[in-house]
Amino acid sequence: MEAPTSHGAGTASYFLIESKGNWAGPNAGTFLMDAVALAEAGHRVRVFLVEDGVLSAAGEGAPELARLAEAKVEVYADDFSVAQRALTATALSPHVVLANMDTVAAALAEDDCRAVWH
Amino acid sequence: MKRRMWDLLLILTAPPHSGDVVTSALRLSQAVLDRGGSVRIWACGYSTMLTQDTFGDTKLPNTRNPKGHYPSPSAVIQRMIADSDGRFAWIGCTACSEERGAVHHVPQVRQRSPERLALTMAGARQTLYLGGA
Repeated sequence: MEAPTSHGAGTASYFLIESKGNWAGPNAGTFLMDAVALAEAGHRVRVFLVEDGVLSAAGEGAPELARLAEAKVEVYADDFSVAQRALTATALSPHVVLANMDTVAAALAEDDCRAVWH
Repeated sequence: MKRRMWDLLLILTAPPHSGDVVTSALRLSQAVLDRGGSVRIWACGYSTMLTQDTFGDTKLPNTRNPKGHYPSPSAVIQRMIADSDGRFAWIGCTACSEERGAVHHVPQVRQRSPERLALTMAGARQTLYLGGA
């Protein structure tokens, strides 16, 4: 499998997968704020919203999404989970890009990718 | 002997019917397989129920679509293993299986003691823990 590499020394690449809805307790928002903290520390951070996690992107999105955008975190929403919850691309936060599991598979194939599923 | 390295290990401890987690695990596995990679799933907790041979090949009939074909989870997993040319494997945790009486796995499932979990993780380039007991 292809295993591309990215960025320079001293920084890491994080791929954080959020499957919990933003009402599922404080941990969901905390996980997204962890992403903000990592990005502000200079790391490359990507967040993938899946399952109930996509509900954080509905409408204007959870407040954490705006923080993620400010911190230059790339935020993806799983298209299958979006469709399963009768959301549409136009009903999602502008900070979010629709993606699918191939995006996750590609990230996990990167040599230096640190991935966490929450 | 050189140890085989798998591209991805998914440790599946989340209960299978309380959310979409099994669907996500299988979708992610298929995406990795489609890219030419390899995946192992370590099933813990109630996820050990997914590969019981007592399921047969199909789910119970759907009364709204009696002619529809709805494969059982064990059939889906068996098909993925068969189609993967050795790049997809399913491991059932022996302790979790025995605690639940889930001891009749389909023959494609490899059973491992939890004592081998660390070794299994060491045999994967990437490990994701899909948690929730």
